[in-house]
Amino acid sequence: MKRGTVIRLIALIGWLLPATAGAQDTQLPAVLVSRQLAESERLTVGSVVRLATDASGTRSQEFRVGGIYEPTPDPSRLGQVPRAVRLHLPDLLDMTRPVGIPAGAEYISSVNVALVNPDDAHQFARDVDARLPGVVALPSGEAAGSAGPFRVLERFHLAIAIVTIVAATVFLLALTIMLVDERRETVGVLRLIGLPVRRILAQILLEGLMVAGVGAIFGLVLAVLSEQLINQFFQWRYDTALVFVRVTRDVALTCVTIAVPLGASATVVASWALLRRGGLRLARR
Amino acid sequence: MSASNGLIVDAQQVSRVFSMPAGPVTAVRNVTLQIRGGDHVAVRGPSGCGKSTLLHMLGCVETQTSGTLFFDGQDVSRLSDSRRSLLRLRQIGFVFQRFFLLPMLTARENVELPMSEAGITKEARQQRVRELLEYVGLAARADHRPSQLSGGEMQRVAIARALANGPRLLLADEPTGELDEATGAQIAALLDRVNQTGTALVIVTHDLALADRAGRVLTMRDGRIASERTK
Amino acid sequence: MTALGFAWRSLVRQPARAALGVLGVAAVGALLLDMLMLSRGLIVSMQDLLDRGGWDVRVSAGDLPGSGLRVPHALETAEAISTLPSVQAVLVIRSASAQIDRASGLPLRTAFQGVATRSTDPAGARLRAPWTILRGRDADASDELVIDERIASEFMLEPGSTITLRASCVADLEALPATRLTVVGVAEFPFQTTNESTAGGTLDALKTACGGNVGHDADLILVRSKGDADGTAAAIRAQHPDVRAATNTEVVGRLQQTGFTYFRQISSVLTTVTVSFAVLLIAVLLTVSVNQRLGEVAALRALGFSRLRVVKDVLSESALIVGIGGLLSLPLGLLLAAGLDRILKGMPGIPVALHFFVFETGALAVHLALLVATAIIAALYPMRIVSTLPIAATLRDEVIG
Repeated sequence: MKRGTVIRLIALIGWLLPATAGAQDTQLPAVLVSRQLAESERLTVGSVVRLATDASGTRSQEFRVGGIYEPTPDPSRLGQVPRAVRLHLPDLLDMTRPVGIPAGAEYISSVNVALVNPDDAHQFARDVDARLPGVVALPSGEAAGSAGPFRVLERFHLAIAIVTIVAATVFLLALTIMLVDERRETVGVLRLIGLPVRRILAQILLEGLMVAGVGAIFGLVLAVLSEQLINQFFQWRYDTALVFVRVTRDVALTCVTIAVPLGASATVVASWALLRRGGLRLARR
Repeated sequence: MSASNGLIVDAQQVSRVFSMPAGPVTAVRNVTLQIRGGDHVAVRGPSGCGKSTLLHMLGCVETQTSGTLFFDGQDVSRLSDSRRSLLRLRQIGFVFQRFFLLPMLTARENVELPMSEAGITKEARQQRVRELLEYVGLAARADHRPSQLSGGEMQRVAIARALANGPRLLLADEPTGELDEATGAQIAALLDRVNQTGTALVIVTHDLALADRAGRVLTMRDGRIASERTK
Repeated sequence: MTALGFAWRSLVRQPARAALGVLGVAAVGALLLDMLMLSRGLIVSMQDLLDRGGWDVRVSAGDLPGSGLRVPHALETAEAISTLPSVQAVLVIRSASAQIDRASGLPLRTAFQGVATRSTDPAGARLRAPWTILRGRDADASDELVIDERIASEFMLEPGSTITLRASCVADLEALPATRLTVVGVAEFPFQTTNESTAGGTLDALKTACGGNVGHDADLILVRSKGDADGTAAAIRAQHPDVRAATNTEVVGRLQQTGFTYFRQISSVLTTVTVSFAVLLIAVLLTVSVNQRLGEVAALRALGFSRLRVVKDVLSESALIVGIGGLLSLPLGLLLAAGLDRILKGMPGIPVALHFFVFETGALAVHLALLVATAIIAALYPMRIVSTLPIAATLRDEVIG
């Protein structure tokens, strides 16, 4: 039975036999309980609990709650309340070792390694793979792999973003055509006066850049405010410290890089269609 | 196209005051005026003297701040907005300086519009549209859009539209304002013909020639009727 | 001219503008439809997947089947369950990992499912495993197995071929001798994921492959009731309080609380954002359009058009843009959903037969209702503009302007 499975077993079953409330016994081995478990079972530091390997209470043992911890938010377990207990490994092995199996014959499912120099992660992983056949070593950043759920979600969100940008572009074009049309007489008069098309287009481009720039900044401010609201809502909803939305510098830069040229060029495209007509035709009501 | 010679509009001491940020502005001041069937009235005066405002009040587009205004015996200020709309639809025709034809409709469809709103049947509408466009001399241009018509032609279509439901009163605000002299004369002649059929006509105009064709010429100044000349 | 006819003429007066507005609604509407399909897609698809084959109650050791916990003394438990009056048949499923040696290169890792049926009903006893035979026949004997298409094509196997595999039933690090089994059929395994290979056979075949060391546990026990799934689940719970018995609907309900919750949430968020976006953009389009035609509207009011009529004209314009765009959004949305579904199915652990986006008439109805609401709400402000338009002042402004 894998260790991870056993721990999940304990967490999923969530079967505890709390000893008499208030009993303090510092001789008992210590465990950590998750905040959510402590809240639901009204445990405090010092409480004595009894853990077992199955619902019928097989091989139960008393432990002392040495601390309450906030579980690291796990996005792949969103929606599941992390009712979990952390034991010292020897205590866990003692509890879960099959009868008749000598100590030292157990196995674990994973080992986390913190390197002195994190930049050595890839080399270290390659060394481990070479020296320990049957063991797979991965730098943390690649643990999910290209088909990991978050890579897939990233592609999904990107697809949604593309559709949104397409829809926004279409609407933007419609709006700019209307707004440019409002100035048709002015443009017609300028053409009749003698201003060349490229001079007028340059003016329009400048205006478009300004409007798009201000719009992009406004959009960023809105995004940052929404970020707070969305994170607060979902953190409350799922009782987690997970961050759901993060407007990073790269994200902001990407958005501005797309929005500003898009906005400016929509104005120019709309104006170009208008400017192809003669000045007289534009100025005529 | 016929109308009675009875009293159509009876305005007694009507005033219109606009509230502005800089203070109230009295556009029309204590005007008393009666329009009967067949009347041909021109209203002249300098810009800002209240001519258009008076016209709008006569046409039930604007309501007076004080005084009484009866249209065909009904107190206009007591009518609901929908009743006033109905009055304008069936009894009053408007001709504007800027024509205000709908650009996406043909001449035929522009003229037909008030009739379809008044609930007239399709056959009756089509017949009347033909008559009206012939009357204004544009039967051959029925399927042309406003953008394909000259200024004079657009104004003639606008007049046909204003006559669509056989109004008792036709109000024209600077009908020749956007037209050259020759075209303006054509429009003036057309309006005369309309008046000769018994439709009362009130025209606001700067055009001396147009005003001289009227049976009554009212000169306004500072919101009042300063003088009235009758032929 | 009716309000709708009038609105149509107003739209085609500016064809580029109208076309862009309609396309924008189509794109937004497509996204909206997809989010509505996503909100229940997984649930509907999972329910369908679970209901296939007619097994309507699942017995497991954990809260959800596939949690990694095993039902102890599975065969005895299955025998006891089969005696319940409401039970037609019981199927015990035990999974193990196996590997098939290749001529060269790394062996192919595969899952091996061993099944055993228990039933007091002759009809139930004839029920077979939860996989669908595509070619050949189902495995009966302890030296037979069925394989999936991936193994079949990888090793060029057909019914009648033999295969050598090594299975590990107790722990991953067992090193058992290879077992030769006869492929009698090629099957489709409903809960198989994209990168998985699966083989199946009787429990005896699994025992053979595992060198007789399969243990007494099972990963899952499937139960087919005689029509009353809820009653059957309750009876099983009463008979065996140490295991979890859940109807398919209950399983889906639990998945809804956990694994599927992210997609429900994102679907709600994106639906809200999409509708707000559409309302805002159509409102702006209509408002700008109306503001450009104030003189015309004032003239129509002066000619006798009522407030209600000019308001209906604006509403009709909104309805046309949203209506035509909405119609276009249907095929666009279905196309987009197919693409998004393909992306999401790349997630590890997702059965091939499971879909994230499922078209339901309910989703379509909500989509239509939201579009109607969008058309109305987007038109509110421009309707207000035309209904409160000061006729005389506007006519004056038009002359001055």
